[in-house]
Amino acid sequence: MNALHFFKPELLWLLPFCLLPLISYGVKQFSYPGLEDWTKDTVSNLLRWGVRMLAVLTLVSLVIAAAAPFTEGGTQTRTGKGAEIVIVLDRSGSMAESLEEQDPVERARGKVTLSRIEASRTVLLKLMDQRPGDTFGVVVFNASPIAVAPLSADRELARAALKSAEGNSSGFTALHRALEMGLDYFQDRPYTATRLILLVSDGDTKIKEEDKEILRERFKEYQAELMWIYVHTGYDFSLEFEEDISKDEGAVDPNVALNQLFLSLGMPYQAFEVNSEQGLQRAVAEIGRATNKSTRYEFRLPRQDYAVYFYMIAMLFLGVLFWLKQIEIKAWRK
Amino acid sequence: MAQQPLIHYHIRWRPSGHQPGAGHGVVPGAGDQLRSVVPLRERPDPRRLDLRTSARDPFKNVWVRDFYLNSALKVIVLVDTSASMSYIGKVNRFNVAKEVASQLALSAYRSGDAFGVYVAGEKMNKKRMLPPKANRSAWVWLQQHFADLKLEGSHADGLFDVVPYLPQNPCLVFIISDFRWGEGKLKSLLKKLSHHDVVPVMLQDPTEIDEQPKRGIAILRDSETGAGQFVWMRQSVRDQMSAAREKHIKSVNSACTVLGTRPFVVNGEFNAASLTAYFMGKDA
Repeated sequence: MNALHFFKPELLWLLPFCLLPLISYGVKQFSYPGLEDWTKDTVSNLLRWGVRMLAVLTLVSLVIAAAAPFTEGGTQTRTGKGAEIVIVLDRSGSMAESLEEQDPVERARGKVTLSRIEASRTVLLKLMDQRPGDTFGVVVFNASPIAVAPLSADRELARAALKSAEGNSSGFTALHRALEMGLDYFQDRPYTATRLILLVSDGDTKIKEEDKEILRERFKEYQAELMWIYVHTGYDFSLEFEEDISKDEGAVDPNVALNQLFLSLGMPYQAFEVNSEQGLQRAVAEIGRATNKSTRYEFRLPRQDYAVYFYMIAMLFLGVLFWLKQIEIKAWRK
Repeated sequence: MAQQPLIHYHIRWRPSGHQPGAGHGVVPGAGDQLRSVVPLRERPDPRRLDLRTSARDPFKNVWVRDFYLNSALKVIVLVDTSASMSYIGKVNRFNVAKEVASQLALSAYRSGDAFGVYVAGEKMNKKRMLPPKANRSAWVWLQQHFADLKLEGSHADGLFDVVPYLPQNPCLVFIISDFRWGEGKLKSLLKKLSHHDVVPVMLQDPTEIDEQPKRGIAILRDSETGAGQFVWMRQSVRDQMSAAREKHIKSVNSACTVLGTRPFVVNGEFNAASLTAYFMGKDA
């Protein structure tokens, strides 16, 4: 049991005034020629003190209620299920390209069998269907990130956000800002479940050194994990490709550099290289497994407010006092 | 206030004063009751010549009739001005007292009787006293001097101080009070006034006897002691209170009976005709 606190303890200084009914009679008085032969009625005497004590108690409970007593709720360790997944979907121009290897002639004609973004979308929608316990939010980005669907239980919004995402080149891919926006979704939310930033992108962008530090701190602050579904065609460099990233800029494959950078950020990180739809599905299944584990978290219980009970007591007493006022004799006659 | 009829008070004894009035006196003088027949030499008034007695007398004396003087009575009103007299229930108690005294003043003047007033609370009020005289303006005096009278004091023992101021001859004395006095007070006062004809006028208010509220809560404040009493009115309390009232009236009655009088009870407004009826011995 926690100690009792008051939200406005200064109001307790009003408590001495609660004794005022003991000075006043409170009931209508009538002059009477002589009380010497008035019957000594014990019930009346008790009632007299009863009325005054009732008035005192009413005031006391009102003052205490106004001072708003409460006890701190404390914390409780709970086990959470499901995950909070923010899908950070790349909709840069390169995502509109075909996922699988294609005849260059056909490609030149503009015939795309299955674009990367479309494949990602289909699989992500399936992921959402398979995981009803999770909460989804969507950020799409190309040159700048757009917070399309906030992290909420409104899945229809997230689905619509995914469906509406189309590849569109604007020349620049603001990956780090998209990640930051996705992380901002966790702001002011209690940590109740695994937090996952699901980056679906084909890379081809860079994160500067100062942005890297910001990202590191944000991931740490929000205790989020990162998963990168690296959507690419087979002839791109694999992320596994051992490359010396200290080489001059431009000489290093950007995706390999990005992978190294994510690895260096310190949060749980996994990358999935996907270059076919089946691969994409495998990656999603893997994500499901990874986020399925239950989360233990400290739940801060809300503080217990007792003012309402005092208000209820005061209401009750006021009702009784009101009734007593009703039965009070207004004029001393029949 | 409606015009009240005169109060025809009546006494069973003869006043001894030489002041002409309406009652049968004990001294010879102009009256309507034959006292004796006396020789003309003793009362040289040929208008009262008694021819039959004179003709019957073998010694040829001339006789005249002699009558008792119709003498004036002295009517004295003692008014209790303790705080309890200020009670205002259905009626203003002191206004009733004033009304009784006023009607007595008017009636006394009409009967040619002397009228006097003494008021007393804890002490006798010597500034507001009217010695018994045939006084035409006694009624006006009452209106003037009772209007701003202070009703205070927790008892009316000042009435004992009034006794020496009263005439030594028997008078008709009214005591106007609610008789909420201590045990035996009324009896000892009546003893001191035993040579007078005393009529205790007991003022009551319906709201303290049979017209009390049926139920509810209130605080009653004693106008004499200032003590408060929380009251939850209900049937049992009402029963107890009416029993207490009856006991009070009974105690006043028994105190009066010892000295051969009985109280005249005014419940609410004063009715002059009922006081006349009281003197006729009709009311219970």
